[in-house]
Amino acid sequence: MIDVVQNTLDGLAIGSAYGLLALGFTLIFGVMRRLNMAFGSSILVGIFAGAWLHGQWAAGMIPIFAATLAGAVLAAAYVERLSFAWIRGDAALASMASSFALWMQLEDGIARAFPQRSYAFPSFDILPLLELGPLLLRPEFIAMFLTAAVLVVALHLMLTRTVFGLQVRTLSESREAARVSGVNVGRVAFLTFCIAAAIGGVAGFLIAATDGQISTKLGLWITMKGLIAMVISGLGSLRGALIGGLVLGLVEAQAQWYLGASGREITVFALLFVALILLPQGLAGRADAAARNEALRRL
Amino acid sequence: MDGFTISVLTNIALFSFLAISAWILLIAGEISFGQQAYFAIGAYAAGIATAVWQWPFVAGIAFGTGFGAAVGALVAWPTIRLSGLHFAIATLAFAELVRASLNVFSYQRDIDGYATGPDGANGFRDIRWVYEAGIEPGAYLVIVAGCLAAVIALVALMARGRGMARLRIVGEDPILAAMQGLSVARTKIAAAGLAGGVAGMGGALYAHLATYIEPAQFSVMTGVHALAYGLIGGLGTVLGPILGVLIDIGLLESLRVFSGYRMIVFGGLVALVLILRPRGLLDERNVHRISAWLRR
Amino acid sequence: MLEIRDIKTSYGKIAALKGVSLDIRDGGLTCLLGPNGAGKTTLIWTIAGILKAQSGSIKMGGDELAGLKAHQIVEKGVVTVPENRLVFPEMTVTDNLIAGAFSRRKEKGGVSEDLEAVLERFPRLRERATQEAGTLSGGEQQMLAVGRALMARPKILLMDEPSTGLAPIIVEEIFEIIGQLRDEGRTIFLVEQNANLALDYADHFYLLEQGQVTFGGDPGEVDHDELIARAYLGARKAS
Repeated sequence: MIDVVQNTLDGLAIGSAYGLLALGFTLIFGVMRRLNMAFGSSILVGIFAGAWLHGQWAAGMIPIFAATLAGAVLAAAYVERLSFAWIRGDAALASMASSFALWMQLEDGIARAFPQRSYAFPSFDILPLLELGPLLLRPEFIAMFLTAAVLVVALHLMLTRTVFGLQVRTLSESREAARVSGVNVGRVAFLTFCIAAAIGGVAGFLIAATDGQISTKLGLWITMKGLIAMVISGLGSLRGALIGGLVLGLVEAQAQWYLGASGREITVFALLFVALILLPQGLAGRADAAARNEALRRL
Repeated sequence: MDGFTISVLTNIALFSFLAISAWILLIAGEISFGQQAYFAIGAYAAGIATAVWQWPFVAGIAFGTGFGAAVGALVAWPTIRLSGLHFAIATLAFAELVRASLNVFSYQRDIDGYATGPDGANGFRDIRWVYEAGIEPGAYLVIVAGCLAAVIALVALMARGRGMARLRIVGEDPILAAMQGLSVARTKIAAAGLAGGVAGMGGALYAHLATYIEPAQFSVMTGVHALAYGLIGGLGTVLGPILGVLIDIGLLESLRVFSGYRMIVFGGLVALVLILRPRGLLDERNVHRISAWLRR
Repeated sequence: MLEIRDIKTSYGKIAALKGVSLDIRDGGLTCLLGPNGAGKTTLIWTIAGILKAQSGSIKMGGDELAGLKAHQIVEKGVVTVPENRLVFPEMTVTDNLIAGAFSRRKEKGGVSEDLEAVLERFPRLRERATQEAGTLSGGEQQMLAVGRALMARPKILLMDEPSTGLAPIIVEEIFEIIGQLRDEGRTIFLVEQNANLALDYADHFYLLEQGQVTFGGDPGEVDHDELIARAYLGARKAS
């Protein structure tokens, strides 16, 4: 029993990082209606910028955090220009293929600049382990959970209380409607992209700091986790993205404990596959999306 | 031809199966990140057939192809009605499920004193039919190229009849296609079966060339590459995905002019091409122009 | 020809059709008028089987069409000319027309004869036969959509707002084509917001407001101005 509780705590912690990744994906997908395959690799650029600073000057946590964020946002801005802004409005497939090409490019560029198998990343080892009776809590896990909660609230406030948030929401409803009501569509899309990358950068920083080391394999890993969490959350709501991440983290933690590594993989993907078929709108899907898809599902 | 050229050409041909497989689904309007699963299924099925069950080569390849097609259609049956992105993730989930399952899948028999057959994450050794039959790499290239030509001919035949047009209209606008009296779901399931068969055949041929296969070879990366080839090469003709493979493996990897910077050059190149031609180099318009020019 | 009884269709929780009943008469033009958002397109999509009705029946002769899949309904001879999504833009004009004959399983023969007949009817399509359909003008695309529907040898043509997005002079031309088809004795169900023109051609009409048929009759029997006002504005005043 105590194992289940401990697994749940661990799962919720890593799940909140997944939730942040899904949040970034969802923001981009909501505004662009396109998949950004290079999301993980822009975060990878950020993490390696942080690791470089750490290796070069043994910088403190705050400059490393800033470097991670800056790297992720810069790389994302590059992707946004080439794969989204400059590609014709109705060519969603082209954006996806293009962002995939840039993923390969960024990842290969990093692998070339950082040829070792793995690099050290500063971890929060200064903080002590918390003991709650028989349960152990790693402080970085608490940090992950709190950060995710704070960011979701902040994002929600930004989207509902600010003019920029209103513009983002208009854009995600309809590009045309946004344009005719005077929204600078290109600028809002670009900024949303950067915000998504910054959120992803925070998640990447937390994940890297928890592990204490990083490798170029993280890019694919981040993309997969974020994508899965976004899809099980039902594409579109921020709260849903967080829930999707938490569910993924929980399932992974329990399956890892009871079934081992390959058991975990099989369980996660089998569950994902079944969930997609049975809950095609995701856990927190929206009703209007259901209506839109209703016609297509019948054919 | 020297050995290097032969191995590059064989690689191009084998990857073309996977790229065509992903392309067929793209034409039917579906994105699949998971065609590598059918490549893996074809490889394992054909390998088991010839190495463990001691079937002849042709029967093994046919088994791998058929198995890939059957699983492709079977998986499409519940998933094809999902909306675009959900379908794409379902293919990804299925492919990773296959890979993870192969990691724990053991099925070995004693053949000539050796335990033969897949052994989980340790892979599947000694798929030796081609090696034992003394088929040279050059001859095997001819076999692979012949199979690829058959696939291309089949697609060309479909383009001549109505098959390809059905796929295209279902992909372009499912609602309008249904208004023409097409069953959208049935057409897409048929496309998924065809795509699974093509990938399965590629996998079966690959297994007999490599003699050793392991689950890690069939990763998401492989599948995403296969998808990108069609998008880069173009959606207008079946030669599009092959052009994509040629550019990537043929030009950049093999010529070694960009030694070490292949992906950096390739990635940038692709991004630029897609800004100018969002449906790939050989898109419908270009294919139309070229065929009009050829008819002259 | 087609008896529609108490059809209810909804999107999620929103009821779009709240029990629609009407008859599409054999060999004539039945017109459905109504303002934007009244549910006109929903009705067409429900008859065509793209959307599923929650309840009600659609009978053709003795056959029940409600509940059939879209492709089965086309095989029964009920063929739609949709609004907006008129053609397959990347395909040539000829290929678009041939796509219209995909439903003809039993009688495969005669496709090339029918193609010739359609090109005869629309000389402008013949001129552009090898062009991609996406390059045609709006009026030509509408002609192509009608021609493609004819390729299916329809028993009933369902036309959804053929005047949408076209210049007035082109709209006149399209309506002349519709008039011709009616004079050939075809059964047509026309959904239109442009009541003014539609009433000139209709043999019979219905008025759809907020998901319900509120009025029906022959064009000769009613005050056109009143009807036109309601068709555009959806005024809820009983006449």
